[in-house]
Amino acid sequence: MTKQIINLKNIDKEYKLGQTKITALKDVSLDIQAGEFISVCGPSGSGKTTLLNIIGCLDTPTKGNVKIIEKDVINYSDAKLSELRNKYIGFIFQSFNLIPVLSTFENVDYPLVLLGMKKKQRQEKVHAILSEVGLYDHKKHRPDELSGGQRQRVAIARALVTNPKLVLADEPTANLDHKTGVAILDLMQKMNEEHNCTFIFSTHDPEVMKYAKKIYHLRDGEIQKQGKRS
Amino acid sequence: MKFFKLALRNVFRNKRRTSITFLSIIAGMIALIVFGGFVEYSFWGLRESTIHSQLGHIQIFKKGYSEKGRSNPGEYLIKDFRSIEKKLYRLPEIELVTARLSFSGLISTGEKTLTCKGFGVIPEREKKLASFETLKEGSHLSAENKDEILVGVELKKSLGANMGDYLTILTTNSFGMINAGDLKLIGTGQSGSAEYDAVFVKIPLNAAQTLLDTQSIEKVVILLSKTEDTEKVVKKIQQIIDDNNLDLEIRTWDQLATYYNSVVRLYNGIFNVIKVIIAIIVFFSIANTMIMSIFERVKEIGTLRAIGTKKSGIMQMFLWEGFFVGVLGGILGIIAGVLVALIINISGGIYIPPPPGMGVGYQSLIFVVPEVLIYSYLSTVIVSTLSSIYPAAKAIRLYIVEAIAHT
Ligand SMILES: Nc1ncnc2c1ncn2[C@@H]1O[C@H](COP(=O)(O)OP(=O)(O)O)[C@@H](O)[C@H]1O
Ligand SMILES: [Mg+2]
Repeated sequence: MTKQIINLKNIDKEYKLGQTKITALKDVSLDIQAGEFISVCGPSGSGKTTLLNIIGCLDTPTKGNVKIIEKDVINYSDAKLSELRNKYIGFIFQSFNLIPVLSTFENVDYPLVLLGMKKKQRQEKVHAILSEVGLYDHKKHRPDELSGGQRQRVAIARALVTNPKLVLADEPTANLDHKTGVAILDLMQKMNEEHNCTFIFSTHDPEVMKYAKKIYHLRDGEIQKQGKRS
Repeated sequence: MKFFKLALRNVFRNKRRTSITFLSIIAGMIALIVFGGFVEYSFWGLRESTIHSQLGHIQIFKKGYSEKGRSNPGEYLIKDFRSIEKKLYRLPEIELVTARLSFSGLISTGEKTLTCKGFGVIPEREKKLASFETLKEGSHLSAENKDEILVGVELKKSLGANMGDYLTILTTNSFGMINAGDLKLIGTGQSGSAEYDAVFVKIPLNAAQTLLDTQSIEKVVILLSKTEDTEKVVKKIQQIIDDNNLDLEIRTWDQLATYYNSVVRLYNGIFNVIKVIIAIIVFFSIANTMIMSIFERVKEIGTLRAIGTKKSGIMQMFLWEGFFVGVLGGILGIIAGVLVALIINISGGIYIPPPPGMGVGYQSLIFVVPEVLIYSYLSTVIVSTLSSIYPAAKAIRLYIVEAIAHT
C-alpha cells in the first residue's frame, strides 16, 4: 500500500478584491499518493497556482482541511511551515526564481545551508545533483549567465537537493521553448523515478499534460475529472 | 551566520545604491571626525594656554586660601617659599617652580590713573611659564631686582603711556597702609583676552614684596613637562606636605580653570547635538536606500521564504547587510575623515575669529584622536545595523505567493 502524501478536504479559497469576492478554489478535495507524477491542468485563471500554493504551504485556504505528509498544517506557525517546506517540499517556478547574487552551486546549496548541514556533506550532494541535471560545469555561473533551460535545471536541482517528499512545479515550461520544455519534463520524469518523490506540475499546454501519469482538470476553481494517461 | 554570504553579496549588487549609502556614511564620518578633531584641538589649545599663561599645572597656597584668602590675601601668604621650592625640585616631572604675589591697586602716569590687577613674578622663570602670553612691544621683565613693569596692550593704550615712561603703582600693604612705587614701562603683553589685557600688570616679585611690605608670597606655581602627569605629581606633593607637616593646600589647573571647564561643557554639548543629528541623517539615508532595494528584490525575498527561509532568517539577512554597510562604509569614512583632517592641517588649519572676550582669532588645526575615530566607527556600524530593522520588517511582511510571482 502506498503512502498518502497529500490530503485536501473541501478546500475553498476566496480572494477579496475590494467589495467583490473571487472564488479561486471551490470545494476541492484531493488525495495524492507518494511517488505519483501528476499534472494539474486548466486554462489561465482556473486556480492552478492557488491550488499548488496551498499544497506547498505557501498559502492557506479560506475553508477546508489540508494534510501534507500526514501533518495537519492548518495550525502550523509560519516558522514551522518554513521548516516543513525546507525539509519536505521542492519548488520549481514558472520564471525560475533563482537568487541572482548566488552562483549555480550556491543556489542549489542554499536549502542545505538552511537545513544546517555540514559543508562537506553539502558539497557532495550539490555536486551529485548538478551532475544529474547536467550542469556540473556551470556551477560557478551566475543565473544571468545561463539560458532559460539551464536556469530551470538549476531550479530542479535546488528543488531536489534536499531529497524532498514532494516537488511542486507551477507551469515549469511556460517560459521555455518547446524543445527545452520537453527536455525539462524528461528530466522531471527521470527525477520522479530515480528519487522516488512525488511531482505535481501545473500546465495549460496539452502537449505537456501528456507526460503526467495522472491529470486533474481544473475549471473555475473546481476539479472536473480525473484522467489517466492513455 | 547562514545569511552572511547572501547579505554580503547583496551589499554589492547595486553599485550605485551602495555608493549613495557609503557617501552618506562618509559625509557623516568626515563631519564627526573633523568636528571632533576641532573640539579636541580647541580643548588642547585652551587648556595649554590657560596652563601656560596663567595657572601652571599645579598651585600651592596657604591652607584656607581658597576659602577665605581672596577677601584678605594678606593673611594667607606663604613665608618659606625657598624651602618648599627646594623640596619640589626633587620631583623629576616638575619643569619649573615659581612664586607669585598679586595685588590690586591703581596705576598712574601722573595725568591719568586707572585700576589694575598686578602680579609680582620671578622674571626669569615667568618667561617660560607665559609662553602663551605674547610680548607685543618692548621686552620682558629682565631681572628680579629691577624696577620694571610690563602691562597689557589695552592698559597701555588707555593710559596713553609711552615705552620708557615711569608709572606709579598705588596699593595698600599688608598692614592696610597706602604704599606707592615707580616703575619703568618696558613692554606690553597680549593674552588673548581683551578684558584681561586692559587690567594686568607684571612687576618683579621683589618690587611687589616691597610695595606690600612683606617677605612672603601668595602662591607657588608649578609647571610640569607633561599635562598628563598632573594627578601623579599632586599625590607626590601631598606626600611632601604631609611628611613635613606643612600648612599648605594644593589646587590643580582644572580646578582653577573655570573658563576652560565651561567651554568644555559647552563644546561637548554642541558635539553631542551634532552626533545625534548626523546619526539620524545616516540612519534614514541607509534605511531609505534599503527600502528601495526591497522593491527590487520582492521576488527573490518571496523565493527565499518559499524554499524554507524563516522570517527570522530574512531579518538576519537584512541586519547583516546593515552591519556590512556600516563596517565597510565606516572604514571608508575613517579614511576620508582622516584625509580631510590632514588636508585641513596641511593647508594651515581653519581660521577661527576671536571668540567672545578674546583679542585675537587663531588657526584651528584638527586633531585626529583615536577616541573620536573609534567612537564614530562604532556608531556608524550600530546606526547602520539598526537602520536595516525597518526595511527588514517590511520584507518580512511580504505575502509569499504574491512575492514569488512578482515581476
Ligand atoms: N492575490 C490574488 N488576489 C485576488 N485574486 C487572485 C489572487 N490570486 C489569484 N487570484 C484570482 O484567483 C483565480 C485563480 O488564479 P490562479 O490560481 O492564479 O489561476 P491559474 O494559475 O490557473 O492561472 C483567478 O481568477 C485570479 O484572478
Ligand atoms: Mg498560475
